[in-house]
Amino acid sequence: MLRYVFSIFLFLSIMLVLAFYSDAVHRIDDTAQEIQVVEVAIFKGAFGIEWHQQMAEQFNRENAHRNIKIELWGDPKLANILKPRLLRGNPPDLILDERLPLWLLIAADKLMPLNAPLAEPALGFEQQKWADRYAPGMLNMFKSDGDVYAVPAAFGAWTCWYNALLYKERGWEIPKTWDEYIDLCEKIKQSGMAPIALQGKNSYFYAWSTYITLVQRIGGVEAINRINALEPNAFSHPDALKAAQVFQDLVADYYQPGALAMTHTEAQLQFIQGNTAMIFCGVWLENEMRETIPADFELRSFDIPGSPDWKGNGKMVHGQGMEFLFVPRAAKHPDIAFEFARYLVSPQHAPGMSKSIGAISPLREVNAPENFSPAIASVVDIVNDSPGSFNVRPYMLFPAWKSQVMDAAIQDLCRGTLTPEEFARTLDDGIAHEVATAERAIPDAVLLNPSDYGEDHAH
Amino acid sequence: MKYLTYILLSLWLLAVTIPLAWVGVNSLRSSKEIVENPFGVPWLVQGSPHQEEAGHPTPQESAQSNFQNAWVESNFSQYFLNSLIVTSVSLVMILLFGAMAAYALAKIPSLGNRLIYLYFISGMMIPAQLTLVPLFFQYSYLSETLSAWTAPLGIEIQLHNSHAGLILIYIAFSLPFTILILTGFFKSLPNALRESAIIDGASEFTVFWRIMLPLARPGIISAAIFNFLGLWNEYLFALIFVNTPEKKTLPLGLSNVSIQAQYNTDFGLLFAGLVIVIIPTLITYLVLQRQLTKGITAGALKG
Amino acid sequence: MHINRELKRLRWFLIAPALILFTCFTALPGVRALIYSFQKWDGFNEPEWVGTQNFQALLADDLFIPALKNNAILMVAGGAITLCLALLFASTIHRGMRGAGIFRVAFFFPNILAAVAIAILWQQMYSTTDFGIINAVWIQLQEALPGVFLDKDQSPAPFPFTDSNYLIWSIVPMLVWTATGFYMVLFLAAMQSIPEEFYEAATIDGASPRQQFWHITFPLIREVFIVGIVFFIISTAKFFDAVWVMEAELPNKNSHVMATVLYQKVFHEYNVGYAAAVAVVLFILVFIATLITLNFSRKDSLEY
Repeated sequence: MLRYVFSIFLFLSIMLVLAFYSDAVHRIDDTAQEIQVVEVAIFKGAFGIEWHQQMAEQFNRENAHRNIKIELWGDPKLANILKPRLLRGNPPDLILDERLPLWLLIAADKLMPLNAPLAEPALGFEQQKWADRYAPGMLNMFKSDGDVYAVPAAFGAWTCWYNALLYKERGWEIPKTWDEYIDLCEKIKQSGMAPIALQGKNSYFYAWSTYITLVQRIGGVEAINRINALEPNAFSHPDALKAAQVFQDLVADYYQPGALAMTHTEAQLQFIQGNTAMIFCGVWLENEMRETIPADFELRSFDIPGSPDWKGNGKMVHGQGMEFLFVPRAAKHPDIAFEFARYLVSPQHAPGMSKSIGAISPLREVNAPENFSPAIASVVDIVNDSPGSFNVRPYMLFPAWKSQVMDAAIQDLCRGTLTPEEFARTLDDGIAHEVATAERAIPDAVLLNPSDYGEDHAH
Repeated sequence: MKYLTYILLSLWLLAVTIPLAWVGVNSLRSSKEIVENPFGVPWLVQGSPHQEEAGHPTPQESAQSNFQNAWVESNFSQYFLNSLIVTSVSLVMILLFGAMAAYALAKIPSLGNRLIYLYFISGMMIPAQLTLVPLFFQYSYLSETLSAWTAPLGIEIQLHNSHAGLILIYIAFSLPFTILILTGFFKSLPNALRESAIIDGASEFTVFWRIMLPLARPGIISAAIFNFLGLWNEYLFALIFVNTPEKKTLPLGLSNVSIQAQYNTDFGLLFAGLVIVIIPTLITYLVLQRQLTKGITAGALKG
Repeated sequence: MHINRELKRLRWFLIAPALILFTCFTALPGVRALIYSFQKWDGFNEPEWVGTQNFQALLADDLFIPALKNNAILMVAGGAITLCLALLFASTIHRGMRGAGIFRVAFFFPNILAAVAIAILWQQMYSTTDFGIINAVWIQLQEALPGVFLDKDQSPAPFPFTDSNYLIWSIVPMLVWTATGFYMVLFLAAMQSIPEEFYEAATIDGASPRQQFWHITFPLIREVFIVGIVFFIISTAKFFDAVWVMEAELPNKNSHVMATVLYQKVFHEYNVGYAAAVAVVLFILVFIATLITLNFSRKDSLEY
């Protein structure tokens, strides 16, 4: 009998030690009240997290007397780490990663509005509110009923990259119009080189961004407005349809064969290695490929040209806020999270960010070209020279639409297995389905006024 | 005909070994070398042809930096340790609990035995995916409840993102198969052994612990091997129940590096990571291959 | 055997830990999944009963059926090639040949590698970059044989193996590469238990090796062959890792399999009910496949 009692006791204690006295058990920290530890999680992508870590240390030093401490970490698969944590109500205080389904979180009331910090003065430019230092349109992506739920920490401009040295050598000119662009592609193709590399595996972002740029170039911001307002048949509108056709032709004629199997790195490597002459990409290209860019490579970029026959202003930038920062409802120290977000994205620290990681700030009047490498300075010039930027929102609004409809459809458009009409119909039907089945009111779109951008209605 | 199959077998041998050799060679080269000279084995033998040029490391340097990056900076040492802890603790508990239950089901006749046995065995039909989601929410609930109880003691319990939580799932999931194999083994042991021991004054527990368990060793070894490989390579549960870098297991760490390689094009690191994952398995395999193949197929045949 | 109180107590003491753990962390969640599948739940707010709405959505939308089809491709194409190759290899080695040991040891090895490692390895081999070994060979072939694979004026191009459209077909060779050794060893073990006299008698009767295979070897390992089929069906129904890794964790409707749909629905779209419905369908398919296949075998190999 005694032996059983003993053995049962032994097993229970083993189970206890195993399951509860190991790493599942945490001491409830009484010192927590004294030092407030604020957890900040950063997506570790092309920009890395070294700069963010420096900022956290600096913030901690400056606020040493307040007993607060920022603990900042990052991971390339941050979204996968945070999805379970968000579901179980234990997220970090501040998150930088728009790969999470932000609109679903907003709809489930899991994010805090950032109106309060946005009304505070901007750090390094105290005469104005933080919100007012943002470049126009930068706060629109995650705005609902006047509340802003996520703010961008960087600005991504979609441009066409090339090797200036190679172009000089071959006598290729930077195109000013779409016709010149097609001529250039033809010339490159004749020389035995593939003109354009495509990040095919990530088409839902890369091919999509180029297609959307063409939608604006052909149909003007009105075409963009139709998409953002979720109008029925926005993608089947003749202008958007034409953009799909132009894009499909471009892919068929001038993109590198096999590109649809390439991850963004593989495709970019093709370009860096000189197998292709151009690539469409955002500003992070240089930082992402730093390790592999040869010494005799002058990375530069030009804006995707429009055409005098088209409605859109060719100088507008397909740009968007990126690296979005947001504070979960369940954050333990939201106030400090707000403060650190305002610290991170501030006129005071923007030049430092540009110098160390080559990111363009979403704030106004802080992006001086001399703060950047020559490659990124070429993008900054485009941005500074443009009358404004545009972007579309359905893929952020409807994650299911993006993963189930748009992702495959844009790839099929590139492959030629969908005609532009079928492609547009697929997208429109998907949007209509999302709108019809939406359980909460869909926030209104922020529309652009064509006359602000010199887009002539007479066309 | 005979030659034809010989050729086919040899081709398959090449198909199996070449990719592994390719990984090994590339793990010794820098990303620049891999990209610029994809199949440049001679560099390894003769040293880099561009050695005079700045920025081209020697083969030894590339190898060293790849493995150092993987082992230290990309935390493979930590992942390795984590995998070792999770797998070994799970394995001990699985075999202990599995053997106990199997012995009772095989050797202590009772009315409910067949029912309990079928209950366990039906667990083999349950795919991990089915339980994934409920387990996730069950852990949240369980952690909250337990923490409420233990709060007066000044501790809280969080099964999410803990090795303990992962181990519990691993044990529960591996039990059906283990019980299946071991019940078969215990049944094949003669009952006379037990009876003579009882006559000699041994207790029922002693019979199990001292006599039957050692006799079932071959079965326990095959169960151990089968479970070891499954747990060492497990990915789906770990992906969801372990979140922070310091708790990740080896398969998670490896996939992390492969994603990271997309953002900084460090292919040398990726190949070094693959080698770190492959080598221990290879060594274990070469040492234990006879028991291993026997164990696995015995397990499968029983199933 | 006489059952006394001590024995009874011992019995429960021995069974209890396994029973409790299995019930709490496998059986109970399995049942709860069934309940979830009839609910609409985002994981945050209160769940709501919706009857079979999740299952209807499953069959109606453009996601689950293609995923199911992809699982079927892996199952049928992968299974046919793997099992035939394994049977061929096993029978060849079984009838005795030089180097049998080396073949057995080498072929089996990929099976014990982590699935993630294999997926990454093949992803790199399929890569369209210059170091992707399979595409390098393919381009060499195109150059060496002009006019065979492409027209004279076309320049050689890599094949987009990991293009979402072809991904599932690209995974088939990987699956075969990994699994053949396992099934070979499995069949070999069964073949080795066939008494040698059968073959001796057949040889005296003048039966050719092929006749011996079809009349002795295969009928006697039929049961194990069926076990092999069941194993393959179950493992491909649960398939996850390679699609997940090769699609950079974002499969689309051309490349989804059931398990990736499930993951995406829970953690990316917060649609727990739908995901549970997928899991239930997966469970039912595995269950039915197992039952059907076991029915074909003469003897119930799960007998107690």
